[in-house]
Amino acid sequence: MAARTATAPGAPTSRLGKVAVEFDDRLIVAGPLRRTLNKVFPDHWSFLLGEIALYAFIILLLSGTYLTFFFDASMTEVVYEGSYAPLRGVEMSAAYDSALQLSFDVRGGLFMRQIHHWAALLFVAAIVVHLFRIFFTGAFRRPRETNWLIGVVMLVLALLMGVTGYTLPDDLLSGTGLRIISAILLSVPVIGTWAHFAVFNGDFVGTEIIGRFYIAHVLIIPAILLALIAVHLLVLVKQKHTQFPGPGRTEHNVVGNRLFPAFAGKATGLLFIVFGVCAALGGLVQINPVWLWGPYNPSQVSAASQPDWYIMFLDGSTRLFPAWDINLPGDYTIPALFWPTVVVAGLMFTALAVYPMVERKLTGDTASHHLLQRPRDVPVRTSLGTMAIAFYVILMLSGGNDVIAEKFDISLNAMTWVGRIGVIIIPPIVYVFTYRICLGLERHDREVLEHGIETGVLRRLPHGEFIEVHQPLGPVDEHGHGILAYGGAPVPKRMNQVGGARRAIRGFFTPIEEPSRVELEQRHEDHGQAAAESARELTSSGRPADGGRPQEPRD
Amino acid sequence: MSTRDSRPGSTGGADVAGPLHGGPDDDYTPEQLAAMPREELDRLGARYDGVEILHVDPGPEPGTPVERRAVRQVGLTFALAGLAALAFVVVYVGSGWFLPDWHWEITDSGWSVLFTPLLGALMGLAFILVGVGLVLYTKKLLPHETAVQDKHDGSHFDRVTTGATLVGGLHDSGLARRKLLTRSLAFMGGGLGLMLLMPLGGLIKNPNKGDPLGTTSWAEGVRLVRDDGTPIRPGDQEPGSLETVFPAVPGGNRESDAPTMLFRLRPEQVDVLRPREGHEDFNYGDYVAFSKICTHAGCPVSLYEQETSRILCPCHQSMFDITQGAKPIFGPATRPLPQLPITVDDEGYLVARSDYIEAVGPTYWNRERI
Amino acid sequence: MSTTNPQSDAQPDDVTPRGRARWSRRPAEGAPAAAARARRRSKHRRRVVNVAGLMAALVLTGTLYSALSPAYATDEGTTTASSAEAAGRELYERSCITCHGENLEGVPNRGPSLIGVGEAAVYFQVHTGRMPLVRQEAQAPDKPAVFSDEEIDQLMAYVQANGGGPTLPSGDLRDGDLALGGELFRLNCASCHNFVGAGGALSSGKRAPSLDDVSDMEIYTAMLTGPENMPVFGDNQLTPDEKRAIINYVQTIHEQADPGGAGVGRMGPVAEGLVIWVVGVSALLFGIFWMGSKA
Repeated sequence: MAARTATAPGAPTSRLGKVAVEFDDRLIVAGPLRRTLNKVFPDHWSFLLGEIALYAFIILLLSGTYLTFFFDASMTEVVYEGSYAPLRGVEMSAAYDSALQLSFDVRGGLFMRQIHHWAALLFVAAIVVHLFRIFFTGAFRRPRETNWLIGVVMLVLALLMGVTGYTLPDDLLSGTGLRIISAILLSVPVIGTWAHFAVFNGDFVGTEIIGRFYIAHVLIIPAILLALIAVHLLVLVKQKHTQFPGPGRTEHNVVGNRLFPAFAGKATGLLFIVFGVCAALGGLVQINPVWLWGPYNPSQVSAASQPDWYIMFLDGSTRLFPAWDINLPGDYTIPALFWPTVVVAGLMFTALAVYPMVERKLTGDTASHHLLQRPRDVPVRTSLGTMAIAFYVILMLSGGNDVIAEKFDISLNAMTWVGRIGVIIIPPIVYVFTYRICLGLERHDREVLEHGIETGVLRRLPHGEFIEVHQPLGPVDEHGHGILAYGGAPVPKRMNQVGGARRAIRGFFTPIEEPSRVELEQRHEDHGQAAAESARELTSSGRPADGGRPQEPRD
Repeated sequence: MSTRDSRPGSTGGADVAGPLHGGPDDDYTPEQLAAMPREELDRLGARYDGVEILHVDPGPEPGTPVERRAVRQVGLTFALAGLAALAFVVVYVGSGWFLPDWHWEITDSGWSVLFTPLLGALMGLAFILVGVGLVLYTKKLLPHETAVQDKHDGSHFDRVTTGATLVGGLHDSGLARRKLLTRSLAFMGGGLGLMLLMPLGGLIKNPNKGDPLGTTSWAEGVRLVRDDGTPIRPGDQEPGSLETVFPAVPGGNRESDAPTMLFRLRPEQVDVLRPREGHEDFNYGDYVAFSKICTHAGCPVSLYEQETSRILCPCHQSMFDITQGAKPIFGPATRPLPQLPITVDDEGYLVARSDYIEAVGPTYWNRERI
Repeated sequence: MSTTNPQSDAQPDDVTPRGRARWSRRPAEGAPAAAARARRRSKHRRRVVNVAGLMAALVLTGTLYSALSPAYATDEGTTTASSAEAAGRELYERSCITCHGENLEGVPNRGPSLIGVGEAAVYFQVHTGRMPLVRQEAQAPDKPAVFSDEEIDQLMAYVQANGGGPTLPSGDLRDGDLALGGELFRLNCASCHNFVGAGGALSSGKRAPSLDDVSDMEIYTAMLTGPENMPVFGDNQLTPDEKRAIINYVQTIHEQADPGGAGVGRMGPVAEGLVIWVVGVSALLFGIFWMGSKA
């Protein structure tokens, strides 16, 4: 701007400042940048779960790019001549050959492969935990249904990412998985064989599928995911983050830290910690040792062939589902495999996707919400959630039921029946159980609000009765009952949560703060035992005189 | 306004801001801003973005033991991170140079086994220490502020004015009135959409042409051979044995639907043999041959329990009884494993009498029809 | 239906030499029972040299010819009772007779006939501790062997003398092509014993045992005799060389270190899923708890 010359007041004098001005002259970013830096993020540990997924995705992009330098997505038959002796001279696909080369003949290649695989497992796990947080706190309610939907789509894409990536090395384990994918495609009524021939370019296994999955894995799905992540974050920024109810927090504000520097510091810290955990796992814990599995061969298989954990629920449902082919007139068949795979997965993700709409219909709650709910305050939703988790976990465990049977010496047939019966009766039991727990927690909150916190101090009344002294949380009415209403925020249940305990003196082995100084600070800050002592009139026993109970016992 | 100003694109030689210019630069002159301290400017900008800073808990006072300790902690963390990163570089570069070779051999138990774990431990340590250092820095050395940002609902003014612009554009296009135009536009859109979908037709292949799903390389007179191509005489196998066999055609041992299990039954099994209807003569003496491809999801079923005559699939645990024509007896599979009719040729080797008489592998929609 | 196989009595001598273009092979060794029954064992068994064993070997020479046909060659006419055989008979009457009958003929619903099972079967069953059985279960569990090596030799001599059957191999049991062993292992063994020999579940409480910590001779005799539910892999199906290749592969991958860090049992996705939740996700949850806590 013309007005900003070197002599104008407030003009930068430092070199960096001048560069910044030059920059802003051209791009006019100062305004948007300030708005971004000033953005307020609420501070709660559970709001970082989605970030873990985001950072895991970044690791996947970086390590995955590295892997593409060496991986050859081709099903051409070659004879392995690399450095892993037990496979030397064995015929295998070029894809498996290059995965072995990457593992044994590229410096640090095995490390990168393992980081990539661990990050993939973490990516889906973090998405799932993030989804639980969103669900149980009601963060999906209006106006955030769009972001919920995008999230569900991203979860599905993450699973597809996992499945295609799992297939690429073309080892015996992944080939077995591919065979099942082929069977699932074939099982779709009417179009199954056509879909299979379109995807595999013919009958199983053909020569195209690794190349096609490769493009899906490294280009198509990541591109869609990346776009959706961008939209997910933009919508989040636009709508501002939700927050838990608390003092000063309303539906019309966000209380927390500004992006810069506090939030940025912690978020960057978390980025590095996620990187670090993936790197540590990638080096210290061996994952998918493809050289032990051997090359894929349609006539070979191993006991305990499983998919990665996030697909295991489908393997489990397939194991549990009874042998029910449906024969239609005209000699058409709907294979039994269709139900536990396509239908179960379809229903599960559809139910997940439409849940916000269903809840809105059922509760009639169409208002916008920016304050979160504590799970106990919405017992029905919480119980539905745990019920769904129970269902999912039983399916997932059934996906590894042969390993469980083998390790714990249980009959495999018994495991199947436990799964079949369990998947029907356990979820409702979990529902009732969770519902009870929610009500109990809710009631306890109300009780503490009414009667105060149990101090653990026993008192003998003049007529001999012993009572426990309760510390009310706020003003009390004429009966000694607290008049604070429940506001959706955690209710303190212990004395040290309301400053009833002394502040810890810093220093682990030796105190680095003078005890007297801590007390002074507390008086100054007006909290803690020191402040309470100076402010309150004490009884002879050193406890508050009112004690949270009426002086006379009630009748 | 002068007449010159009304000409579009001209400001009449003078650089004058338009009538809509304004905002904070009008409210605060550079002089005013220059007079404000940094904290005030920060809060002013924040307030302009709807953010109110309620409470600032300043970090530890410079020079206090708390601060010195925190600085030491953070500094040490970052230093250690740098050290771990350098150690990573040393291990990565040095292996095979001044450190032992990193190439792993199956007999190795030394450095090459440690190589990848060391890389992971060092890189993990470096990253985690950087992260921990940053968090410690934020928690222990930066001031803690509590800020409140206002959340605004959508503006009614924005909605009305944007709506007017949109509707105006639509109205000017006259699409609502010009029916012919609307229809031709819809026609064009449909046509172009279809056209763009057409190249996907390259993916389509007819699964029913030649019945690739229902046929395998087995045929009359095709020998049963092992993975290495050697044919099999009936005397080669012991009772209670299982051999995976392939059709003696080029590439037969890589075919996905051809793998077949050849069993030689024990006498006790032969006693209870109950073949499926129409399969009574598919065996050759005490030899029976069943497809190895599971009728459920296509995994090779070869977990053979010779005492119970059961075949177990490791993928979904379907169980088949080979003395009852490989009928499924447990698990999700619905159909028996197809049986290959076998006999012995002139030279005394086992051969197939025909292809499988039903489709091998997982069930599909029109399987029964072909 | 015919229950006898027209060619089941074929002698192994007329087995077609198996050409293997893909594998470089050493010339095939002679039949396993040849080499004058020198009865050399794997390393740790070689130490057990005793008179009884030698005597037993001498007796076995008499049954050599019938033993060449491993399956059904029954020769009950052997009456030469050596001291080892007699000692074996004594052991048999003390520990085995209840289930396997007075003359090895078996007892219905208790134990199978031992006529013709051969010394290889006795070696496997007794050396792995599966026999004698403590109680009838879905499957005999392996446990520390009840009998000493000497006693096992005596039992073997007794059983071999009564009906013949597969005998113990000699020479280096790991003398085989590693890669070929891997291919054969994945084709024939991995379906029950898992890629890495970790074992696996079978139907109704049975299981394919883990191949960790089993000796070469145990693997060899198991393949040869097909104990319990395991299929038999006779010498005409998997040649002695191929068996040695498989043993070489199994023991090599069992002994080889994991280049990528802790192997977590080489269990594959189940163990990996457990690790990501118990270690990865937990560590990060701990991390964000700590980040959210006040300084």
